[in-house]
Amino acid sequence: MVGYQLKLKSLIFVLALLVYGVSVANAADVSWSELSDAQRKVLNPLASEWDTLRPWQREKMLDIAKDYPKMNADKQALVKERLTNWSRMTPYERENARKRHQQFNALSTDKKAELRKKWLEYQKLPESERAKLRADSPDTYTDADLN
Amino acid sequence: MSASENKYIDQATALDASVEDQIARNMVELLNSHAQKLPEAQAARLADARSLAIGRLVNREAQLAGHSLHRNGHALQWRGGRWGHYFEQHRILSALLIIGVMLFALFAVQQLSVSHQMENSDAFLLASDLPPEAYADKGFTAWLDTN
Repeated sequence: MVGYQLKLKSLIFVLALLVYGVSVANAADVSWSELSDAQRKVLNPLASEWDTLRPWQREKMLDIAKDYPKMNADKQALVKERLTNWSRMTPYERENARKRHQQFNALSTDKKAELRKKWLEYQKLPESERAKLRADSPDTYTDADLN
Repeated sequence: MSASENKYIDQATALDASVEDQIARNMVELLNSHAQKLPEAQAARLADARSLAIGRLVNREAQLAGHSLHRNGHALQWRGGRWGHYFEQHRILSALLIIGVMLFALFAVQQLSVSHQMENSDAFLLASDLPPEAYADKGFTAWLDTN
């Protein structure tokens, strides 16, 4: 009887996990026409390439659409402006950006302001010089870090 | 009945008991001596049968002990009163209750970490003070180290 109960509990747990996994997988595997109006409004810069994105890429973009309404108008404008470039970055670049963003969030206000200034200075460097800096920098993360 | 006849009957009864006892002793000796001379196959079968019988007895006693423990030591009976009795009588319901509590705990943990996730979500990265390119650019990181 005890064994039977244990098996029943295990079965319910496994079924719950299965249902959750299938629902998550299906949520990301949607075509552009299947998106809601609100999602299409946010993800509009990606309309032409949405159906070519892989499910895991769509899932990340849908997460962005989900968080979008929580922002003020200025932040929303920034998201729309940067979304296309973000979708075209490699998984490595995106993962690198996420980790750097976390580090940036932990900085003081002064440090953040200083970094913004530095970024503007860096943008003024000739593209050849920036390309050389990128080429000379070793990769920080391994393939295992990417998703 | 005369006294001599009674005496005769007592002697005969004592003789019968003595003979019976002797016959029984002879039978035991005979069985013992034959038991020593049993063929190996028969001895093995007897040993197997004995093990089987002992095993069944042990199992039955263990089941009885388990049933007794379940009746008297069920965890939900700690609750006492009619609720403890109710849950004991509805084992599937108690299993579902445990799963429900686990799911609620999972939901609570997710809700508690929402604010942390929001700060680190891709949407907030895109709306950050720096563009995603700044975080992903290895050249910028290298340039910061030297400036």
